[in-house]
Amino acid sequence: MTKVIIIGGGWAGCAAAISAKKAGGDVTIIEKTDMLLGLGNVGGIMRNNGRYTAAEESIHLGAGELFNICDKVSRHVDIDFPGHNHASLYDVNKIEPLVKKQLEDLGISILTCRRVTDVVKVKNKITKVVLSDKSHIEGDVFIETTGSTGPMGNCLKYGNGCAMCILRCPSYGPRVSITERCGIEDVLGQRNNGSYGAFSGSCKLNKETLSKDLQKELNDKGVVILTVPKEDVNLEKLDLKVCQQYSLKEFAEKIILLDTGHAKLMTPFYPLDKLRKIKGLENVKFEDPYSGGLGNSIRYLSIAPRYNNMKVEGIDNLLCGGEKSGFFVGHTEAIVTGSLAGHNSIRLSLGMPLLELPRNLASGDIIAYANEETKSIEGLKKRFTFAGSIYFNRMKELGLYTIDKEKIKDKIIRLGLLNIYEDKIV
Amino acid sequence: MNKRLLCIDAGSEYCPCYLAETGDCITCSILRGQDFCDCNWRGSCIYSEFVWNDYVKKNSRKFYSSKILKKESLGNEVYLLKIETTKTLARQLKQPGAYIFIRGEGLPQFFDVPMSIMQANEKEGYVYIVYKVLGTKTKRLNESDNILIRGPYWNGIYGLNNIKTLKNNNCLLIARGVAQAPTLLLINKIVKNNNITLILDKGKLEDNFILNYLSHKNIEIIFIDTMKYKEQEYIKEIMIDKKIDFVFSAGSDIFHKKIIELIDEIDPSINISATNNSEICCGEGVCGACSAHLENEGSVKGCKTQIDIRELIKRRVNID
Repeated sequence: MTKVIIIGGGWAGCAAAISAKKAGGDVTIIEKTDMLLGLGNVGGIMRNNGRYTAAEESIHLGAGELFNICDKVSRHVDIDFPGHNHASLYDVNKIEPLVKKQLEDLGISILTCRRVTDVVKVKNKITKVVLSDKSHIEGDVFIETTGSTGPMGNCLKYGNGCAMCILRCPSYGPRVSITERCGIEDVLGQRNNGSYGAFSGSCKLNKETLSKDLQKELNDKGVVILTVPKEDVNLEKLDLKVCQQYSLKEFAEKIILLDTGHAKLMTPFYPLDKLRKIKGLENVKFEDPYSGGLGNSIRYLSIAPRYNNMKVEGIDNLLCGGEKSGFFVGHTEAIVTGSLAGHNSIRLSLGMPLLELPRNLASGDIIAYANEETKSIEGLKKRFTFAGSIYFNRMKELGLYTIDKEKIKDKIIRLGLLNIYEDKIV
Repeated sequence: MNKRLLCIDAGSEYCPCYLAETGDCITCSILRGQDFCDCNWRGSCIYSEFVWNDYVKKNSRKFYSSKILKKESLGNEVYLLKIETTKTLARQLKQPGAYIFIRGEGLPQFFDVPMSIMQANEKEGYVYIVYKVLGTKTKRLNESDNILIRGPYWNGIYGLNNIKTLKNNNCLLIARGVAQAPTLLLINKIVKNNNITLILDKGKLEDNFILNYLSHKNIEIIFIDTMKYKEQEYIKEIMIDKKIDFVFSAGSDIFHKKIIELIDEIDPSINISATNNSEICCGEGVCGACSAHLENEGSVKGCKTQIDIRELIKRRVNID
């Protein structure tokens, strides 16, 4: 049986594990912290704008498990907020154990609190990964889904220092770039001013510290919009963000809170004293990152050069997914790329041709488009998400955006890809 | 692959040091001028410490003038010194691999010579060292009642990670000559939770002086001349009979090489730690006297870097 080793247990790693398992692999996820999902533990936004299309595509391609869990624990469905329609907000406090159970039920082995620090390579092939406790884990195919966030030195050099986010580098140790360890140079994202990296785009407030009225409104509607005092509007901050879909003027002049179990605040960070000037937020506290008044994690410093089938260029048995595979933003994007990498890991081990998603699917187009753009200097400043900004515009222009489930299903049947991720191929 | 090395001082109160200021940090890739993090993580971010310290190093170790409480000749130009220290320094030195620099009072700093700690008493504030008169520095050590000391330093043993994880192991410690001194701190550290067999070779000493300081009942001590072929065969028998899974080699680099060869004939997976025999001069990774040129890592500073003894011996002894 093909032994697939997945490094990083975020959304992309979990998605890769499921599709690799279903294709017949013996799958192990190695995760440095004590929880799966990584930043997914503080995320929550699904199905907004083009993500709806992508989610349905994945479901019909046969990778529906994770979307179904998100739908099941959504606190709110079909809500609108500035620039965004028909969003679902999953409950970040409930999602992780459910995903973990799903993976365990499928027979995927999950190693938590174990951190990969190096690889052992023979020519262009990885034979095993080395863990921080000096132990080794061998495998036939490896998938890197370590993301691109942190560690502390990067968050300090390109941000405002460690803000104590969910990744908890000081406790669990830093992310290590597997491709870099293989001697492959990472691609780096840039901001408009040419500096590297970008801040994570949102922070979370402890919901119980909002005023009773705000709590009620948030629980009822899923979204609350507050006005920023004029003297505190900071348009420059929009440029810091990774999430260009939320870099709208409205997000600078308004405070947008979404109910994901926490109150998700759609800004990278916000000084606490200024935040507390706003009605209803007088006693507010940050939940993630703990120092959300000061900064947030820095991302996009570690992108692997890859093909559209998710195989990493230059290494024979390494694939990648999620943020590691391009300037992607979001859980949906992670699941889409991770699922493909997982499925292709088994094909790769068998010497079969690898699957490339066709470009008349949003999922296939974003993977190929991100790859093309990453090769240009201007492209290094772009971020790609079904949910907004340039890529959602492109989806609309190309007619890829639809929320008609039947239409999406028909298209996938027509392409001969219905439930392709369900096929056991080994 | 980029080199990733372990600095003994990383995360300590002396980190970041001069090497951070000059862009030569052993551990932090950003402080070596690279754009991104790729460190070997010692539980804290050196770059972050450096920035919080306003881009300057932390305070370095200072000199103390200390009383020599006892001087004892052990014959053959070997001396034992009992040196007064602060209680804090004694506590910091009470771990395997600890060493200090000493020099006679009134001498310039280039007379500093590194000395392994044999025993440290943090309750009363003193340490024991043993040295053999060999060169210019040691010849001028014994001339005054006071002595200048600088410390603590910790990299006197390579393979400290192997020592940290020892528990219920069958340990073989092989010590020759003056290198018996650093073996004592190791014994005190691991004796509670491990089975210890100690091979003593007095080498050029008159006596195995360490015996006067060994009060442990549960250590088997064997006396042999490790340089004799027949007795080397005996060491191999011990390794097999006692199911040894950890070896500490205390002696010269040639001695280390012999021990490694013996181990490799039995079981190359046996963990090794060994005394650091680099010619350490400043202890701060600055002067370069202790540099070793390793196959993959290039030039590495032996005073601060934890080096795999196999790699080191492969280069140093074989090239010498």
